Amino acid sequence: MMRELKFMLHDKAVWVWCLLALTFSASAVVLGTIEVRQQHLEIAELQQLDQIERQVTLSKQSDWGSAAYYTFHLAFDPPSNFAYAALGQRDVSPWKHRIRMLALEGQIYETDANNPDFALIGRFDFVFVASLIAPLLVVLLLFDLRSGEHVAGRLNLIEASVGSTRKLWWQRSILRILALTTALCLPVVIGGLVAGTAPSTLALCVFAVFLYLIFWMAISLWLATANRTGSYNLTILLGVWLLFCVIVPATLTQVIDKTVPMIDGGEIVLTQREAVNDAWDLPKHATYAAFLVQHPEWREHTAWNDEDGFEWKWYYAFQQVGDQKVESRSLAYRQGQARRDELANWLGLISPATLLQRQLEALANTDVRSALEFDQQVRNFHADLRAWYYPKLFQAEKFDTEKAMSTIPKFAPSK
Amino acid sequence: MNSIVRIAREEWRQWSRSKLTVLCLIVFSALLLFTTVLNTLELREAQHQRLHQQQQAEETFLNQPNRHPHRMVHYGHYVFRAPPPLAMFDSGVDAVTGQSMFLEGHRQNSAMFADARAQARTGGFGKLTPAKLYHLFLPLLIIALGHGVILREREARTLGPLLSQGVTGISLYQGKLVAMGALIGLLSLPALFSSVTSSFYGESFLTSLTLYVGNLLYLCIWAVLTLLVSITTRSRAVALGVLSTIWVLSVLVIPRIGVTSASANLPSEGKILTDMRMNEDLRKLGDGHNAADPAFAQFRVSLLSQYNVKSVEELPLNFRGMVASRSEAELTKTLNLYAEKRMQRELDQANHLSNFKWLSPYLAISGASRNLAGTDLETHHRFLREAESLRYDFVQGLNQAHIEKLSYLDDINRNKGEEGWKRARVDSDNWRVLKEFRFTPDPAMERVGRATPKLGALLIWLVVILGLGMITARRLKP
Repeated sequence: MMRELKFMLHDKAVWVWCLLALTFSASAVVLGTIEVRQQHLEIAELQQLDQIERQVTLSKQSDWGSAAYYTFHLAFDPPSNFAYAALGQRDVSPWKHRIRMLALEGQIYETDANNPDFALIGRFDFVFVASLIAPLLVVLLLFDLRSGEHVAGRLNLIEASVGSTRKLWWQRSILRILALTTALCLPVVIGGLVAGTAPSTLALCVFAVFLYLIFWMAISLWLATANRTGSYNLTILLGVWLLFCVIVPATLTQVIDKTVPMIDGGEIVLTQREAVNDAWDLPKHATYAAFLVQHPEWREHTAWNDEDGFEWKWYYAFQQVGDQKVESRSLAYRQGQARRDELANWLGLISPATLLQRQLEALANTDVRSALEFDQQVRNFHADLRAWYYPKLFQAEKFDTEKAMSTIPKFAPSK
Repeated sequence: MNSIVRIAREEWRQWSRSKLTVLCLIVFSALLLFTTVLNTLELREAQHQRLHQQQQAEETFLNQPNRHPHRMVHYGHYVFRAPPPLAMFDSGVDAVTGQSMFLEGHRQNSAMFADARAQARTGGFGKLTPAKLYHLFLPLLIIALGHGVILREREARTLGPLLSQGVTGISLYQGKLVAMGALIGLLSLPALFSSVTSSFYGESFLTSLTLYVGNLLYLCIWAVLTLLVSITTRSRAVALGVLSTIWVLSVLVIPRIGVTSASANLPSEGKILTDMRMNEDLRKLGDGHNAADPAFAQFRVSLLSQYNVKSVEELPLNFRGMVASRSEAELTKTLNLYAEKRMQRELDQANHLSNFKWLSPYLAISGASRNLAGTDLETHHRFLREAESLRYDFVQGLNQAHIEKLSYLDDINRNKGEEGWKRARVDSDNWRVLKEFRFTPDPAMERVGRATPKLGALLIWLVVILGLGMITARRLKP
């Protein structure tokens, strides 16, 4: 083993590919860390502006109904302390919202999108380096391991000098994989120490990357036989990379999206809009009847003062009814997303690249599940907001700025 | 000339003998064909669906009953963007931005329900499109098939005899180039199919042809690069290693580094942050729902003197409508100011990213491809602008009805019981202020104009590498 280690340290190619891996990984970690810091800064600034805005808005109101109409609330999902390695779903799913008491379904699908050109190309984060570039580095490290010796005419000599030839090649490649894993994971671990990531998370990440590289090593050893030329081996292995990292994942996406068809999201918001707008012309008791199904406690408070053509409590009741109307569709939409994600989890078992990417995103809380959880948090917060305003509206409480400012619900991220 | 053709034919014979080469070609061609057909079908369906949704949205709007005009302002309208014909080749930013948008009074919304969000996450490079295959992965095939074209002669020790028989290095190079060219021509057929098909569906011949030529140019760059490496290195394994590293860098690494560099050098803030900053400005404008807002005091005074009356009740027009209209105008001015700033920033970022085309031809071709297909950032921005102008027009049209068709007294008494409620409405004929919305791609010349600098960069890449190859070939020694 020591002899092999010495051999490896003299191999210039090993140094080249490992240094390349180190450079890629280090830049990915640095870029990821910068992005996470920017997101934290943005959240801090948003929170500050949100606070100021609420004070200004509430100080100008004279009744609870307008307070609820004009006051926006910030909801946000801060990046986890491992997000620097896997930014995942955060690029396409919203991680911040600005919502108010109106029907939620008209608000929650807004996405605060980045430059679309960027989303198209994608990010240079650690997940990308580890799952898509690292296999290529493994291939470049190992494709010529045996055929190179064959061409140099040393193969028979080397294989004769050891007890088990298989053991020899395994030893040789394991050492190289260990070196590559170290080069890849060193920056992540350092980044984790800076970000305060849990050691167990880092350990799992390193372990997953190591296993993944072992998989690629096994494939390389299996397919890169000695009595073919190095370039033949490399071509085959590039093809395998293409298969596992591009074709299989793309096919899985197609298959899953076809297997779990989703309703057109536009339908949800369209239906919600119709429901809310029609309510203006509906008899009040029709709206209240639908509203009271979920809130029987306000049954005694729906008296209608005919002198007044408009009442806030009725307005918010029909906003809620608008949400109720599309509840099943909205749920179906979310369940569709969850179902697709679950399928991707199972089908991902046949594609190691998918598996690694999903594992790291799960560790970083940047996967679809986390995005759906944030969606649920926002929904819960909106429910809290309603629960807080309803007594004030239905019992016609007098507006009190002080009370509003001190007791209004505030969104608190769960992590 | 004859020897060049002979060398090319010999190369093809070599390829056709190698099982690996044939397999690579078959797999790639199948993938290209499959993706092209699948994308074409999906595009046709999307076009029909969007057009249908658009017509339906317009009908629903026009069929709304008589009501208070401001309610229609809040009722709002939907616009949809149907993909342009060439999206079958390159769907560009459309999958990321979302293609439907809700338009309403007092607000500029962003496009909703981007496909990318609901898609199953399986890692890799997402959904395959013909453009992705051409730009990302076809270079790999060219490398795999072409890295040995000259090295093979060297390794088989046929290079010496060839050169001594009077075949010059340059004609050998040209022969191999012809062989590679024929290979690329073959591989480009699916792209040709996309561009011809899109011409049938109303795409201009100029853009689809330019798109095809651009892709050909890009593939040629990889061909001459492969030849260059093949002629300068001593072993096939080394050549392949060098070429795959170049591929990794130019296709996978540099574009993503470019993205990060653009967003670090030209940071942009999210929409929510912009909205909140904008609030400071908006508060000064006053609330258009509240005609008594102090912000409109000046407006009231000037109106009263203009019509020479003492109170707003005596005005010949509905004062509340006039406030709504004026406030929408001012609000929109501010909204557009911020929206334009945002779009300008995105364009600057895109240009910054595009400068990396001198490091990676991939960025040149993928940018040009989106420009030509009409699925680029600029087209998306035009969609946003056109949607905004539609929004502003119908909102102001409704406000005009509010001013002219609804008396001020009926308006302020709208909340006085059932009767008042019924009197404060206008005829549904007024909803006809809504214009039809059909989004079409930019004119062909404009798209070609946007793509030209990128295509120019590709040409320069090609000429430089070709020149290097020729120089090396001239000095070729066994």
